[in-house]
Amino acid sequence: MMDKNFEPRIVAFLCNWCSYAGADLAGVSRIQYPTNVRIIRLPCSGRINPLYIVKALQNGVDGVLVSGCHPGDCHYISGNLVAGRKFALLKNFLVHLGIEPERVQFSWVSASEGPRFAQIVKKVVNEVKEIGPIEKMVKRL
Amino acid sequence: MIEEKIIKKNRLNAMLQELSKEYSIYIPAGENGDFRFCELRDTNDELVFWDYRNTRISPKEILFPHSEILYEFSRDESHQFSISQNNDDQRKMKNVILGIRPCDARAIGFLDRVFIGEPNERFVDPYYLKRRIHTIIISLACNRPQISCFCTSLNGRPDGEEGADIIAFDIGEEILLKTVTEKGKEFIKESSKWLGNVKKSDIDKKNKIFKESAKRINSRVSVEKVKEKLDDSFEADFWNEIHRKCLGCGICTFLCSTCHCFDITDETSADRGKRIKCWDSCMYPLFTLHASGHNPRPNYKERMRQRIMHKFNYCPENFKELFCVGCGRCIRNCPVNLDIREVINQVSQLK
Amino acid sequence: MMKEIETRIKEVVKDLFTQNKIDLFIGYSKGSLPLTSSPCFITKSEDIEKLVWNSFCSNNLAVYLPRIFNPQPRKKEKIELPRIGILAKGCDARSIVVLIKEHQIARDNVFILGIVCQGMGDRKKIRNDIEITGAEEKNGRITIVDENKKEIELKREELLSDCCIECQHATPPIHDILIESGNQRPAAPKGGGRDFEKKSIEDRWNLFQEEISKCIRCYACRQACPNCYCRECFADQTKPRWIGVTDHISDVMFYQIGRIFHQAGRCVDCGACVRACPMGIDLRVFTHKLVRDAKELFDYEAGVFLEEGLLLATFKPEDKQEFISEP
Repeated sequence: MMDKNFEPRIVAFLCNWCSYAGADLAGVSRIQYPTNVRIIRLPCSGRINPLYIVKALQNGVDGVLVSGCHPGDCHYISGNLVAGRKFALLKNFLVHLGIEPERVQFSWVSASEGPRFAQIVKKVVNEVKEIGPIEKMVKRL
Repeated sequence: MIEEKIIKKNRLNAMLQELSKEYSIYIPAGENGDFRFCELRDTNDELVFWDYRNTRISPKEILFPHSEILYEFSRDESHQFSISQNNDDQRKMKNVILGIRPCDARAIGFLDRVFIGEPNERFVDPYYLKRRIHTIIISLACNRPQISCFCTSLNGRPDGEEGADIIAFDIGEEILLKTVTEKGKEFIKESSKWLGNVKKSDIDKKNKIFKESAKRINSRVSVEKVKEKLDDSFEADFWNEIHRKCLGCGICTFLCSTCHCFDITDETSADRGKRIKCWDSCMYPLFTLHASGHNPRPNYKERMRQRIMHKFNYCPENFKELFCVGCGRCIRNCPVNLDIREVINQVSQLK
Repeated sequence: MMKEIETRIKEVVKDLFTQNKIDLFIGYSKGSLPLTSSPCFITKSEDIEKLVWNSFCSNNLAVYLPRIFNPQPRKKEKIELPRIGILAKGCDARSIVVLIKEHQIARDNVFILGIVCQGMGDRKKIRNDIEITGAEEKNGRITIVDENKKEIELKREELLSDCCIECQHATPPIHDILIESGNQRPAAPKGGGRDFEKKSIEDRWNLFQEEISKCIRCYACRQACPNCYCRECFADQTKPRWIGVTDHISDVMFYQIGRIFHQAGRCVDCGACVRACPMGIDLRVFTHKLVRDAKELFDYEAGVFLEEGLLLATFKPEDKQEFISEP
């Protein structure tokens, strides 16, 4: 039903210490993953303001991926654990309001998990392709 | 000369149908006593507003909408800028507002003074003028005043004519239309085929009903001295007490039928943008925040004082009129029941 | 019963003033419309007679505390904090707990006069086309008089706010003196937004859109909320500017999502935002989702235990990881 050529725009908020390094490893290891993803580097997944995610959707981003260190591996000891509670509530809340669960996804990727990063990007891109371009929430000027 | 005509309620739909070819018709629509002015889409719909009380939001939103695009601008690939004026469809500019209560009609008269002023005034808001000039206001005399209504204290009446072009009276099966302005007369002439002549009994009926409804407005405040008292009470201790329970929300200003402050803001993306005029409220800290970070009205006290001063002192100074029509919206909707009538009374008693 | 509580309140406040324990007492006075009460600030014992207690003392008075303790603009010199007495129902007291935990209130400067609450009425429960010209409350029944002098008798329970019907914390979790009010009313099962949740995702979105499109951005929900004490709300920020200021539906949604989500793990479900909304938006359908999730996912209820850490500033090793997408 969807446009076969639809190429979604995905914004990925990655923590500096694990997931960003994981993405880097995927790159230097020449692992292929979709080019739809635009990466924004943050010091820690705990630095993510939920408004960043909502704002990305408002600006017409088709999907948001947030990734940080695995629980217990945070460079700042507990940034990701505290953030995890926030993410769990945000995801449920957005789904409650009627935003598709595929639009906003969270994952933990360590610096040594290049292949895992590529897989998660593939998964997000495929799922967003499936549900089509974002219409809800978007503000077009 | 004043003209009075009569129309049967059941013929009104046919008349509106014809009018809708030329005008956008706004009527109060809603259910369970909760009304808001909406454009009449289907002229076959039964008109249900004959005994509505008043709308939740004041009808100023038709002439002075919450947000209005003034113009749009864009930049093309060769970096050429272009500006396009927002030209709404001209048909949309011709409006009939039917069923507005006399207090709100009067408030539109006040807004005219702010946005248009006297003829040949230097400051005219072209966006307001464009809408206003083609708008016919047919007010509906008030037969169901509320206990929070106090229009009679502010030179208003449930059958007041100020601000309206035509005033309508619901006298049962029929509606009595009375012209107020030249514009109204013109309009009556255009639609004369729907209208009948008035009998003496109709006028008696009308007078009886509306004398009755004036009597039902029991809430009175004394406004005679308010302006004078406020003249030298800018620094009064009174303000320290009166603002205390105010939450600082914008309900009173946004729902008010005379509040008219607005903000102009740009919304831009990489290559295009809009300049937008939208409602603003003196109750917000952002309203007076300077670019330097300084705010001349940093607290609830100063902001509340501004609202009262603007309505009851600055406006009388500039426009020779207290900018309150006594519609009671702010009283009914204030979340902490900060009653403007009590504020006025307290001001009047200042030493 | 109401009258006895009122007398008791007056006694306590009188004592507080005579013993010079407080500078200001925040309670309720008679409202100017039937079925309303209004927040009231007492600074001297002569005014104590103004205090009332009835079924419409619904405002969450905790909203006034942060602004008293942190006056704007910030003063350079240290200000002497006033000593405040405050009337607190279950929800007000829970808000006070949240505010103490977030360091917005100096606990030592607040005297909490707790009242076991029997739920508060909401005049909006009466259809708008009935003009209430008078009302009287007696023995759990409320008689309202309409404009034609017709009397309508209602049970007190019929007028209770939705959040009060479902309230499980009628007793203030924190207080310096507690006034009992008879048996605690049994709470109805939590339902805010439950029906909504059962709908399909598209229906939910459409309903959300429909509900939010009523918003005129008067910010009454924010101002009435005790938790919304930010010195500068994200909606007012200009650097960065999060949202446009128009009534564009997307901006209004952004404001609502932002404000409601900012209450995650902090909302005490007092219903202040719902009652304040002049457009009758049922915000509780959305706010209550967060309250429910906090309980279900993390077994956390805001404002109940003073010693417990804040939901979003703590974690447990066993926190569920269901929100994580595995590749």
